[in-house]
Order: sequence, then structure tokens, then C-alpha cells
Amino acid sequence: MSQFMSGEDLRSWLGNLAQERTLIAPIRSDGLVLFGAVSRAEEIALDYDNTLLSPKGHLFPATDTLFTIERREGGIELVPASVEGEAAIFGIRPCDALGLRVLDRPFLAEPADALYQQRRARTALIGLSCHKASPECFCTSLGTGPDDPSNVDILLTGAGEGYIVQAVTERGKALLATAPLVEAEVTPPPAPSPTPVPTEDIAEVARRAFDVPYWARLADRCIHCNLCAYVCPVCYCFDIRDHSYMGRMERMRTWESCQSPGFSRIAGGYEPRDTKGARLRQRFYHKLLYMPEQFGVIGCTGCGRCVTSCPVNIDIREVISEMQRLGASSAS
Amino acid sequence: MPPEVEGTGAVDPFLPYLATIRSMVDLTPDVKLMGLELDDPAIRDSFDYRPGQFAFLSAFGVGEAPFGLTSVAQRREGLEFAVRRVGTVTSALQELEPGDKVGLRGPFGNHFPLEDYRGKNIIIIGGGIGMAPLRPVINTILDRRADYGDMLIINGARSPQDLAFAPEFDTWAQAPRTRLELTVDRGDEGWTGSVDLVPTVVGKLKPSSQNAVAITCGPPIMIRFTLAGLRELGFADHQIVTTLESKMKCGLGKCARCNVGDKYICQDGPVFSFEQISRFVEQF
Amino acid sequence: MEAIERIRDKARELLESQAVECVIGYERATDNVGARPLFAYEPGEVARFIFDQTCHHNLTRYLRDKKDRTVAVVAKPCDSRAINMLINEKQLERERVFIIGVVCPGMVEVGWSRPSQELQPLCRYCRQHTPVVYDFLAGEPPAEEPEPSPPYPDVAEMEGRSVAERRAFWSQHFERCIRCYACRQACPGCYCTECFVDRLDPLWVGIRIAPGENEMWNTIRAYHLAGRCIDCGSCQQVCPVNIPLMLLNRKLGKEVEELFDFQAGLDAETLPPLVTFKKEEKLEADL
Repeated sequence: MSQFMSGEDLRSWLGNLAQERTLIAPIRSDGLVLFGAVSRAEEIALDYDNTLLSPKGHLFPATDTLFTIERREGGIELVPASVEGEAAIFGIRPCDALGLRVLDRPFLAEPADALYQQRRARTALIGLSCHKASPECFCTSLGTGPDDPSNVDILLTGAGEGYIVQAVTERGKALLATAPLVEAEVTPPPAPSPTPVPTEDIAEVARRAFDVPYWARLADRCIHCNLCAYVCPVCYCFDIRDHSYMGRMERMRTWESCQSPGFSRIAGGYEPRDTKGARLRQRFYHKLLYMPEQFGVIGCTGCGRCVTSCPVNIDIREVISEMQRLGASSAS
Repeated sequence: MPPEVEGTGAVDPFLPYLATIRSMVDLTPDVKLMGLELDDPAIRDSFDYRPGQFAFLSAFGVGEAPFGLTSVAQRREGLEFAVRRVGTVTSALQELEPGDKVGLRGPFGNHFPLEDYRGKNIIIIGGGIGMAPLRPVINTILDRRADYGDMLIINGARSPQDLAFAPEFDTWAQAPRTRLELTVDRGDEGWTGSVDLVPTVVGKLKPSSQNAVAITCGPPIMIRFTLAGLRELGFADHQIVTTLESKMKCGLGKCARCNVGDKYICQDGPVFSFEQISRFVEQF
Repeated sequence: MEAIERIRDKARELLESQAVECVIGYERATDNVGARPLFAYEPGEVARFIFDQTCHHNLTRYLRDKKDRTVAVVAKPCDSRAINMLINEKQLERERVFIIGVVCPGMVEVGWSRPSQELQPLCRYCRQHTPVVYDFLAGEPPAEEPEPSPPYPDVAEMEGRSVAERRAFWSQHFERCIRCYACRQACPGCYCTECFVDRLDPLWVGIRIAPGENEMWNTIRAYHLAGRCIDCGSCQQVCPVNIPLMLLNRKLGKEVEELFDFQAGLDAETLPPLVTFKKEEKLEADL
């Protein structure tokens, strides 16, 4: 027996949820599916493969005020930003839930990033299993899967006319206390199988594939935009600057990408990563070698967003396979 | 104490301490020595740091940038930073005057392991603003002169007026078992000293690698040739130590801007021996 | 002979004779549907070249990366205009680039793993099906070029809307911008050593990824391309959040064409009107 909720009941439960907390859910507009705050359940898209942007922006916003700077007579006062209210993200896919678990490593490492920590603590994750594996998906090669409940509070899996409901955490159970659940004999559809990507020993392989002409050749094609980093559920590099407007001063944090021209260039002009190849390689090495070294996790969840959105088809699946080949051959 | 994150008991690591500028001294045409006092007496008393560590200074309304602490904590003469005008934050900081407020986050990073260098001969090789993080090394050694062997200081700059710590040269030169060698790329009418590049001076002076540690900081090109010169003189890579400058935004191992290979300069560094650097996956 | 055979043969010949360091063309992307740029350095690689209606990338944006080398590039008609624009603006030496021109059937609206037969809107208004400059031509040029009338139907439609409608339209689009700069990076005309948006001193646009800054970024970029945009549509093609950037570029293109009878990149000699100043010219506008 499983706990079950009909599609109609799901909408009414989500509608109630949206009344008591900020509800972030997939919304379809202008032909795109993006996470956004919803006030009514009817706004929520349920028939989507995955959102164009990952949900990371709701915990690590593209633009975040760290604190405001107020000039008081004879001095300065810094007013920390605060996070208010509870939130829930509905419709998060297992790959993106893993993405948040990966983001926890840098952001919750001591000393914890205060805003991220507060948002994370106040945001419940209501996952939705994947009904299909898109061609670009490879989550099963990165330790999760289309119906992996391990990184969410509640997991819903579409079955028949409704959803099988798994309360994964205590928080999930509490949220479901008022949900119109029924006990039902439903079999979940078989989980889809994404095409595997050879991620075995990728960090070790990466060590041997560092100094190869492949990176320069790949970078020929790269146009060094920030797109891959901004759609990625894991990329977490950021920039910090002050923003002054009409006498109001704020310290801002914004997304940044290792592909942007000022990423590693220091004031005065010295650019340590001064070739296109070195710049592009940094993206893959940070994910596949440096994050495993520093945090013990690979900085990729197999969501495939960078694969679908790269303007010139720099495909991380192909890059990983190529690294396996190059890392193996230079070892022998 | 620093402000707490509401309800968590944790401290927001992005929130700087407030500090008041106590002095601004022109060191060179583009470098000012900024003396600071932390506003909160409790933080002021507990703020401890070692040579090689750095802190972020905020010019409010513009942003913040990392600077090596160039004072010595034990001297308790306030916090000093050598600010060279290279970008927007440094320009804004240079505009400030005594009495103005800045923000400070730190100290961050590791430090020169001076306790391991006791009894050794020390060679300090600094170029331009690269002398700023070396100054507290020199002054710490001078304060505990008996603990260390001979000290050779080679300080180079573009021109005589770019030698940032000139007011201290007499003190350094007159200290026991201490030799100060100055060199410039271009002399002027009053200059009677060496006109040579720093690596050339190292090659001429030929410091012995026996029981010695070389500590160097300066522009990348100077470091590259100094390193080659020291290796020629028999210095092993573990005897050559530097402090790496890098783009940094947080100092907390989070923003990933200073990621070089599997290291984060802000946390694993900025002080590394070349033996450590040679093991980096990526070589800068 | 098929156009692709002619491209491959020419590429092989150029590489074998070492007339060029590499040939920049297209190969099939990993979704087996779309295309992606291919830099072929060895004659053995030319078999990977393809050319069909999915080859939308403007490869001339790579020419400045290879500035000091001699390279060959596959250029569609709009791409060929970029070459003229770059030569005109002293960014490229004509003798350093061998242009393999292709007669263009128009590009289709492919997305990742999503084949389509639908012609891109921009291609429906196209006035050049034959490259304006080339060293070698693949494909049969049409007997005559079409003259869409009016030439800017998309812009005309926009102009017909009220200010409030246009305001709302652009606000909604710019709000989605994530400032990934894919538009800039894909554009052959966006080659400033330091883009105004990256400049910190003076700070023209703040770093916030937020409506005000997004609007500044997108509109200033469009103005920078006024009279310089060669109508290839790459910026719009790569935009992850579907901002109709070409509407802005084409509005400015239309104004320039009407005022100065000029379209960017048709030749390499005519100075673009907005980068020239003639003393005898007077502002006739009633200001």
C-alpha cells in the first residue's frame, strides 16, 4: 500500500500551502518553464521535463543583498539582510535536489553563509520524480536517479491519475499532516533510465588528463559566455560589490562564472588563467577534481542543462568521456 | 562581538567590523599606508594575526578588496595596510582621510611559519608592493633577533621613490646581522644604489642556501626569475616561500574565485612553499 | 556536386596545401539534430563537416580569436557581412581569411534534440541568399534576391503598438535576462577589449542581475550595434530565456537604413554612418 494523492487533491493541497508559506513552483510563460513564486495552484505547471534554470536561485539568488550600509551622523551602521518566513519548492527534480546538497558543502562549511543557511533551513523541498529521461539527462551516473527521495522532504511520483506520496523527513511529514492522502494499491511506473556517462574515478582520471591539447581544441569552439554556469544547479562562484543608488548603499552578491573575462584577473591586470583552454578547463576541473578534493562531492548532478543550453554544444558528457580516454591513455 | 545572524547564534561572515582610519601616510606616489583602529574595543583587544595573513577592507559604497596586514600584532600599534592604487576599491580607499570609517573582515589565510624558521638564515626578496606582506616578517624577526640567523633583505622597485618602506630602511640596515640591499629598475639623480632587476641582484649576492629560507613576494615575472635564480644557488623548493596574490571576493573558501588547482588561496594560502606550489594541479 | 562536398573538398585542399592553419565550419552536434562549430586542423577531419539548415552559428565571431593566423571560414550570406564589417572596422585583415561562402537556404528553428522544418523568422525577411564576399562559393546562387516588402515587417508590427504595450513587452522580457552575455559572446560585432558592462571605473552598469540593470545592458548593447548589426540573429538564437533581441537590433537597423540608406557589411569600404562625422553635416532634426 502507498500513500496517494489525486492530481486534483495535489492542486488543492498546494493551493493551501501557498497561503501559509512562499511556494516556489514551475511556471510556464512565454514558452519557458521557470521556477517562480505562485499564489494559486492553477499557475503551477505539472507537465514539464525540467525547468530552464535550476532552483538554486531561490537559495543563492542571482542578486542578493548581503547587508545595507547606512550613514548615520558621525558614523556608519551595517544592517544585515534578513530572511523572513517559510518557503517550499515544489516540483524540484532529484538532480536539482542533489544540487542543493552539493551547494551545502561550500555554503554551510564553517563559517556558514548566513543567508543561504537561513533560506535552506526555512525551505521545504517537495520533489517530483521524473516521468522520462531526456536525452541530455545522466543523473544516475552521479549518485542520484529519477525517483531518488534522498535529498527532498517529500517525494511525489506520478502514477495513474495522481501521485504516490513519500514523506521522507519529519518536516515532510508535518507538511503532509493536512494533505488529503489516501491509502491505495498503486504501482509506480518503472523509473526511466538515463543514458550513463563514464564518471568512474573521474577525479583520478582528471589528474592525468590535465595537460593535454584537448582543452585548447575544445576552447576553440567555446564562446566564453556565462550560460553554463548560470543554468547549473551547482555552479556557485560569485562576485561581491557595493551598489549605490539614490543615496542607498548595499553590499551585493551576484552570480559569476569562471568563463567571464574578469573572473581571475587581479586588479592591476595580471591574468593567471590567460588562455581560452585554461579558462574552459577550470569549469570542468572545478567540478570533477577540485570539488571532490575539497568537499568529497562531484560538482555535477547530471541535470543536462548545460548540455541543452550551450550555444556551441560543449557537452559535459562528451567531455567526461574524452577525459576518460585521455586520462587512461596518458597513464599507460 | 560581531553581529549575530538573527535567531541562529551564528556570525554573518560577510559583515565587516567597523574601523576608523587613524593615519594615512604617502609611501610612494601610488601607495598609502593606512593605519586603522577597530571601533569595538572587545574586537580590538582580541584581534590577533600573524605575518602573511590578510584582511578585506571595505570602501563603503564601492566594495571590498583583500590586503596583507603589514603591521605586527605584538607591537600593538594598530592595524596597518599598504594600499596601492590599482582599481576602484583601492582608489576609493586612498581618497579617505583620518577619522573616516572603513570595514574590515579578517584575518584570513595562513601565515609565514616563522616559528619553524628559528635558527635559520633568512633571505627576504621583495619587489614593489610585494614588500607589504614581507614587512611584518622583517619586523617580527627584528623584534626577536636572537631567535634567527643572518637576515638579507633585497628590496626592489621601479624607481627610488617607489621603495615603499624607506622610512624603516635605517632601522633595518642597522639591526644586528641584517643586511639591506636596495635596487631599482630606473635610478634618478639622487640614486647611488644598484640599478638592476631583483633576480639579477640575487644572482650577484649569491646568498647561501645552507640552513636558509628565502621568502619572496613581488610581481609574477620577478617571482619567476627569482625562483630560477634561487634554485641555481642550490635552494630546494621547500626552502623558497612566497605569498600568492589572487582574485578573492569572500576569504571564506566559498566564492571560488581564488581556486587554483585543488587549493583555495584564501584558505590554504596565501603562503606556500614552491614545493607545495609544484604539487598544484594547475600551475600559475 | 552537393554544397557540402564542395566545402569538404575545398577544406581538404586548403589544409593539405597548408594555405590555412585551420578551417572553421560545422559538424553535427551531440544531439544528432543540430550543428556545432568545428575547427578542422587536419585534412582527415574534413569528413566531419556538414552544411544544412541547422548551421545557424555565425562562425566569423571566431576570426578575431585567430587574428594572427590564416584561417578559412564557412560563411553564410549574413556571416559574410560580418567579415566586411570587421575588415571595415580594422579588426581583420582580408588576406588572413579564406572565405568559403555558402548559398543559404535559410536556417530552421532547431532546439536541443528538437528537429524542425520551420524557417527562422529572421530568415523569412532575408535579402541576401548569396554571400556578399567570398573566395570560393558552394551552392547555386538564386537568379535574383527576394525583396521582402516591407523589409522590416517584425519591426513595423512593434511600431504599431502603443508605448505602454512596448514598455510592458520589453520589461517582461528584460526581467528574465540572467546577464549570461551569450548574446555578446556570440556576436561578431561585440569585440570591445573591455565591454562597457565589465568596466568598473567608471561603473556604467552595476553588477545586479535585476530589471533595471538588465534593461541598461540590453539597450546599450543594441545601441552599440546600431548600423553595425549584420542581421545574423546569433544573439537571439543563443539567448537562453528567449529575449527577442533582434527586434531591437532590427529597429535600429531600420532607422539607419531609412536615414542613411546603409546596411552594415554589404561592402568593406563604406564607413558606417554612426562612426563617421562629416563637418558639412548638420543636424536637421528639430530639437
